[in-house]
Amino acid sequence: MADEVRRRVENLLRELAPQVLGTLAGRYGQFDACEDATQEALVKAAQRWPTDGIPENPRGWLLTVASRVLIDEFRSDSSRRRREDTIFAATPQSELLGRPADSITDPEQAAANRDDSLKLLFLCCHPSLPVSSQIALTLRAVGGLTTAQIAAAFLVPEATMAQRISRAKATIKTSGIRFEMPEGDARERLLAVQHVLYLIFNEGYTASSGENLTAPSLSDEAIRLTRLLRGLLPEDGETAGLLALMLLTDARRPARTLPDGALVPLAEQDRTRWTSASIAEGIELISEALERGAVGPYQLQAAIAAVHDEAPTMEDTDWPQILGLYELLEKVAPNPMTTLNRAVAVAMVHGPRAGLELVAALESDEGMARSHRLLATRAHLRELAGDREGAASDYREAARRTASVPERRYLTGRAVALGA
Amino acid sequence: MKYLLMIYGNQEKWSSIPAEDWAQEIAKQDAYNKKYTATGELLGGYGLADAVAAKLVTRKDGVPAVSDGPYLETKEYMASFYLVDVESEERAYELAAQMPWADQNPTEVWPILHESASDA
Repeated sequence: MADEVRRRVENLLRELAPQVLGTLAGRYGQFDACEDATQEALVKAAQRWPTDGIPENPRGWLLTVASRVLIDEFRSDSSRRRREDTIFAATPQSELLGRPADSITDPEQAAANRDDSLKLLFLCCHPSLPVSSQIALTLRAVGGLTTAQIAAAFLVPEATMAQRISRAKATIKTSGIRFEMPEGDARERLLAVQHVLYLIFNEGYTASSGENLTAPSLSDEAIRLTRLLRGLLPEDGETAGLLALMLLTDARRPARTLPDGALVPLAEQDRTRWTSASIAEGIELISEALERGAVGPYQLQAAIAAVHDEAPTMEDTDWPQILGLYELLEKVAPNPMTTLNRAVAVAMVHGPRAGLELVAALESDEGMARSHRLLATRAHLRELAGDREGAASDYREAARRTASVPERRYLTGRAVALGA
Repeated sequence: MKYLLMIYGNQEKWSSIPAEDWAQEIAKQDAYNKKYTATGELLGGYGLADAVAAKLVTRKDGVPAVSDGPYLETKEYMASFYLVDVESEERAYELAAQMPWADQNPTEVWPILHESASDA
């Protein structure tokens, strides 16, 4: 019961975190100080609410506490008087006293909240920050995770993660990055936000997730944040596509690994264990987005995942459709990995030899020739073509080249099974 | 992506550095460690004691059995190692090349195995 309450409080806090920070940053501008103050307010709430009960206006409570933290912070500052006055002047009196809970339904207020959350995402994923910092900052400022939780999820010491976050905040401060909507480069900035969410999802989509109880599930968190982004930009097809892609991929998670962590390839997964609710939601999202036009790479990848998820068995998969989608994806976003995936689809439609020809064309690319993915794909196609010896040697070489333990185990197992 | 950077050497090599230069060389390494700790990329860096202080440990009847050694057949042995977590392979090479002595002494860069796997 106590755990139940704590979880409810935690979920509520994580949902409110970007709203509170967004409001503060919008009002006072100083992102780094506002971020610290918000975290402090969240910690206080996490300590008190489970025992004291959730206040009637939780958002107002957090805003009030965070504003007080900011004031305390600035009190110890040399220019404290001026700043203190600014804060008092900028803080609506009603907020310091706690506002009625229903004011949140005010449409103007709701629109302002939406804008603040978006600005926050754009700020955290600002191109002047390294991607690893964009990820960390997004998880903390928008996701409301603690530095310790983020560090645990990425298997680095907390001090290291704290360093990345404080450095990112310092960069924002010193380079004068503003808390505002991007103007001319809005499209690219949105791509950066989507990319960060995609990376968080991929990082979390691991064999080991779930074993480590102190680390939050990053794929769940990525899905939650992408849902938030979709709520903010309901008309954006690629955001819908990204959410669909995550749901359709995550749906296979229960069947993707064995209890000992061993990988199960798509062809051998027990499809009855796939999460049907996620598949249904993903398919609905992607169908709706595709109808609207302006197709992008996330939508195409989601469409491919949907075709896989709709097939009751590997044999029933509509490979010609998958091939067509990969051809489109290659046109929209050319990438050797996409070509490699297309080779598998080509093999399923036109036979393994045709697939191997396409792989051979990629071998001239120096980066790809050494990649374990190319070798693993070639191994699979050689196996389909009946070349057991060639397949086994490719599986073995691919196993040597991957740094992923489950992949290495899987690839070695295939080589052994071929007995060559 | 995590990588282990390793630097090898031997007593002969260290002895070739004039004593008056040591403070400066150490300061360079300290500056390196500080710089990449601040970027959130260096998770830890450690220098090793001389090979004479190293021991070989096995387990005999459930208890540690310690003997002298290792008796290295190679001329150089590990002098220090650094654990980094970086954006890309290229970045790992960049950090390796930034090692204060990288112009004279190579740094080994080894990828570290991880538990994640892309969709199979």
